[in-house]
Amino acid sequence: MGRLFHRESRTNEETASFLRNCTLPQILLKQAEALGRGGPPAIREKAWGVWQAVDWKSYRDYVEKVALGLKSLGFRRKDTAGLIVDNGPEWLFSELAVQALGGVTVNLFTSAVATELSQTLQRIQASHVFVQDQEQVDKLLEVRDRIPLVQKVIYVDPTGMDGYRDDPWLISFRDLLFLGEQYGESHPGVFEKEVMRGRQDDIAVMMLTSGTTGLSKLAMLSHGNFVHMGLQWLDTLPPSENIDWVSLSPPAWIVDQMWGLGVSLVGGFTMNFPETAETIPEDLREIGPSVMITSSRFWEDLASRIRVRMADAGWLKKKAFHWAERTGRRVEKVRMEEGRVPRSWSLPLFLADKTVFRPLLDRVGCSRIQSAYTGGHPISPDVIFFFRAMGLNLKQCYGLTESGGIFQAQPDHSPKLDTVGLSLPGSEVMISEDSEVLVKSETVFKGYLRDYQATEEAFSNGWLRTGDAGVLNEDGHLVIIGRKAEVIRDKAGNVFSPDFIETRLKFSPYIQEAVIFGEGRPYLTAFINIDMGNVGNWAEDRMIPYTTYTDLSQQEEVETLILGEVRRVNRELPGPMKIRKLVLLYKLLDADDEELTRTGKVRRRFVYGLYVDIIEAMYAGKREIAVKGKVRYRDGRTGVIETTVRIHDVEE
Amino acid sequence: MKAFRADPEIFRLTSRDRDRADLRIEGLTLRFGGVVAVHDVTLDVRTGEFLSVIGPNGAGKTSLLNCVTGYYRPQEGIISFNGKNVTRHPPHELVRVGIGRTFQNIELFPGLSVLSNLLLARHIHYGYNFLSAAFFLPSVRREEVRHRRIVEEIIDFLEMQSIRHRLVGSLPYGLRKRVELGRALALEPKLLILDEPFAGMNLEEKEDMVRFLRELHGVWKRTIVLVEHDMSIVMSLSERIAVLNFGEKLAEGTPAEIQGNPEVTRAYLGPAEEA
Repeated sequence: MGRLFHRESRTNEETASFLRNCTLPQILLKQAEALGRGGPPAIREKAWGVWQAVDWKSYRDYVEKVALGLKSLGFRRKDTAGLIVDNGPEWLFSELAVQALGGVTVNLFTSAVATELSQTLQRIQASHVFVQDQEQVDKLLEVRDRIPLVQKVIYVDPTGMDGYRDDPWLISFRDLLFLGEQYGESHPGVFEKEVMRGRQDDIAVMMLTSGTTGLSKLAMLSHGNFVHMGLQWLDTLPPSENIDWVSLSPPAWIVDQMWGLGVSLVGGFTMNFPETAETIPEDLREIGPSVMITSSRFWEDLASRIRVRMADAGWLKKKAFHWAERTGRRVEKVRMEEGRVPRSWSLPLFLADKTVFRPLLDRVGCSRIQSAYTGGHPISPDVIFFFRAMGLNLKQCYGLTESGGIFQAQPDHSPKLDTVGLSLPGSEVMISEDSEVLVKSETVFKGYLRDYQATEEAFSNGWLRTGDAGVLNEDGHLVIIGRKAEVIRDKAGNVFSPDFIETRLKFSPYIQEAVIFGEGRPYLTAFINIDMGNVGNWAEDRMIPYTTYTDLSQQEEVETLILGEVRRVNRELPGPMKIRKLVLLYKLLDADDEELTRTGKVRRRFVYGLYVDIIEAMYAGKREIAVKGKVRYRDGRTGVIETTVRIHDVEE
Repeated sequence: MKAFRADPEIFRLTSRDRDRADLRIEGLTLRFGGVVAVHDVTLDVRTGEFLSVIGPNGAGKTSLLNCVTGYYRPQEGIISFNGKNVTRHPPHELVRVGIGRTFQNIELFPGLSVLSNLLLARHIHYGYNFLSAAFFLPSVRREEVRHRRIVEEIIDFLEMQSIRHRLVGSLPYGLRKRVELGRALALEPKLLILDEPFAGMNLEEKEDMVRFLRELHGVWKRTIVLVEHDMSIVMSLSERIAVLNFGEKLAEGTPAEIQGNPEVTRAYLGPAEEA
């Protein structure tokens, strides 16, 4: 007995080609045979204060019981099951059990309201639904008459379910296991037979795609999609016997589906489930994962948590931290530019690592990480740099539901902070003529459920259209500019995303708000709002006197400071996206003046209309322009600011 | 696994006899000098029952509880538990016969973690002696594991996983009340006496506590005596209610009977002509 998949061994290609024809439950059976009861467990979950392990043989047995239980409840091949469950072993058992019977699973968000759940369950014509707890049961009971196709609701957590015992529509997960056990005794071999009937092209999972407009679509992913995703990741990851994955993002998202059904199953790796949402930091530290893929939010929160803790620390710790951070940043910068670290730096780096970085990373459960990835929303390069300077290998990645998960990631040898890196082996990326990112891979989905038109539109000559605009830089790394629908073209027809540039500018602590113009213009210009607090402190440190915001923003030193910040951002931007002229606006954009939405987003058109004179002056090549601006005070009175606005060239 | 939360060992009903919790209070009188705190009160609590004791401030509710749990020594009357006379027994002996309680003003060890506070309550159930503990014999190890498991079941039941290692002193009030309930449960009492567990809680904390008590009584068939001021909670949880006023039992009955009792209304609102 041993690992099914040794990445170093010669049988590798054989195994891979064998796996390429398997369904997910078939792989589970193989893994159970190969790994049995020994070795690292398939699943760990913290419960009752201890990590409870499930080995591969037991994993298979649980799936068998759930599957046979489902069968005895009338689940047939091609049926669909809904899952409204949290991360936990029961989630994986249910999903693989349904697939073992030739069924399809759909994960729904536990936070969804009752009507949302009923709509989706009705759309997928679910015959059985797995739910987490009483809360979800109550929601389904509320809309029971609207989901007539649902034959049985299986609840995982029995807490508080005592009063529901008489309802034959409901059954506990435990009773389902019991049913399955009984069915198995009277029908030996049925499970294996059902599993072997599966074809790799069968649909395994349907994922709800985040519909920004109207009803969300259901992307159909096959067994093959997940198997290939698993194989692609195995080729990408640093080789190791076992990889501990801590399951953090909801099962209704692609990342944990991709890992739980794809990578961990194919690689025979361990899935770890935290005890509760509140205990995640503790549980993470106890597992000490070597690979993580999380949202940018996770890393931003972690960075600010570290900063806040350090601000409260004693002076010695503070001093040590700042010294180490400076050292780390300097070294990382050199490493990124030259690809290696000069010898003279190795001693300070060693000291910083031993005294500050290691202990700190250990405290947050990241000391064993070999590769950490962040995806989803754009992340501040500064946050990435912060962790990289500490020796945490944090990188960006990119993917979508329709592509079966992440297909683009920064490689270890030459990470570029502001790109999402290179394609995984087996995936191919191309930029279309209108700047859209296209991808081709075995992992790309089979289409949207009962939506032929949307499926047609999702592809272009066999390539999946991501809907994002992007460019490939000189090293072949992919840079995502923004949603294609939101990008703008300049006069020469180059695409740019104001949001993309503005986000980058706002990463500077001195810039609070930025607005980019340039639609149909020869080059880009910007309005900048300085950050009163940070720039104020900066000015005070340099003994620069100032009175109001208007006054501060027109100090010559401040102008130089901001120009420097913009130049720094410019350096990372491709040619047509560089900012050529800018104005430091004499007032803060304000929701009271309708320049921002109440949620703090810039109302671009409105700002354009309001300040069109200044914008025209920038493109007319003027040096300065006199303005009369209206301001609204807090008490509702309006006043007029008369001032001269200087226009700055951002030369290289 | 969450699916296996159904059957915690601590609540497992081994036999009706083991969980028997028949409390009988007969003619109980407690005086502090010339002040009569409790006067000739007779009250029965039957196994599996949820009984609430209500009454205006100073009616003698807590005094009555303190007599039952051994903190006060009544001058007259008999208290018997499962047929055994336990009048004037000290608190630690009453815990051993199976009477556990929480306090109105939280009485925990603020410098210990939640886990330690609960484990400490398991002390009465420890079977090993000093010598076997010193050598950490396999039997000791097994027992320690079992106690930890039971405490963890309580932590799981009361949803305290994330505060397991926190010092009790650093917890907000509502959570400390929850820890108190947890510690009382760790004693594995047959009769659970709760002295104003809802006092000082916000609405959300109250809702959680109601949920726990309902489950304790409804699913795990614990026998509970509750002293509480919040009438909506008392009415929704109790099977039977006893009303005290000036140390005397004024009425006893189902929530509906108590709500319709004019004497009770008078005790709470004062005589009609004064109101």
